[in-house]
Amino acid sequence: MSSDTPDAAAWRRAITRFVTVIPHTRGFGLTVLEAGPERVLLRLPWDDDLLGDSTRGLLHGGVATMLLDTACGSSVLPALPEPEVCPTLDLRVDHYRPGVTGQDLHVEARVVSVTASVVFTEGRLWQCAERPIARGIANFMRLGARNTPPGFKQALFAAENDHD
Amino acid sequence: MTDAFHDAEWLARTRQQGDVTAWLERMPYARRIGVSVESAEEGDGLLFRLAPREDNIGNVLLPALHGGVVSAFMETAATLDLMLAAREPRLPRVVDVSIDYLRTARVVPTLARCELLREGRRMANVRVWAWQSDEASPVATARLHFALAEVSAQDA
Repeated sequence: MSSDTPDAAAWRRAITRFVTVIPHTRGFGLTVLEAGPERVLLRLPWDDDLLGDSTRGLLHGGVATMLLDTACGSSVLPALPEPEVCPTLDLRVDHYRPGVTGQDLHVEARVVSVTASVVFTEGRLWQCAERPIARGIANFMRLGARNTPPGFKQALFAAENDHD
Repeated sequence: MTDAFHDAEWLARTRQQGDVTAWLERMPYARRIGVSVESAEEGDGLLFRLAPREDNIGNVLLPALHGGVVSAFMETAATLDLMLAAREPRLPRVVDVSIDYLRTARVVPTLARCELLREGRRMANVRVWAWQSDEASPVATARLHFALAEVSAQDA
């Protein structure tokens, strides 16, 4: 293993940087619990703005889609030989049961396969681990090194001094 | 009387009035991302709008809207459109969503229109079309299945 292969802690910092520059998820306080080539695990603290039905206290289904998109997208970076910009091609979400008010959300995602043009991922969302809320399947387009801005990797693994 | 989705009388009345805004007011996440109903021209279905909020950005470099926010917008549109278009007052519950991202969604207003392709007794299939400057060049399309729950007076 070469010395520039990032370890789990380096990936956790890199993916934290990746998700905290996203204004939408930063606004809700999304945090990275784990990140690496095996999987990413994110947590979103409960916020009443996540509701889709305020009287019955049910999570908005679109939040599940948004979180699965974010988690699947984050899982792509550590699974590539070098980080590349990869837009979402498509996303499928199966809603197993409604999320409920007051409990933090956990979302994990992993890369299933990587080809020259596509990264295939899948993710899972839950509040209580034994009762998954949704499953997502997202495919990402590889734009390749040529279409990835120079300094993308360096920005992800920038020195510690700029994190708060 | 609770003025809530599961209140059959309230749901029937707001539906009769075409008061989609009253439904949106009870969907906090839809309000947070800035979903509104633009117009409800006769026979043309509802036109939905997503405000280009800074908070909806998913890529600061381009910049572009968060794909998941665009998807949540389309799911909200499909739900509300179905509640109005269904034969009877129903509470749709999303079963699955499949979304294709066709173009970068820039930080400008996004519009969406829905089509109810099938309404069975238990399930509905809705197609959503979202665009920005040109309806013929969608930024995303989606299809959704909904389970149609009956709203009984006892639920209220």
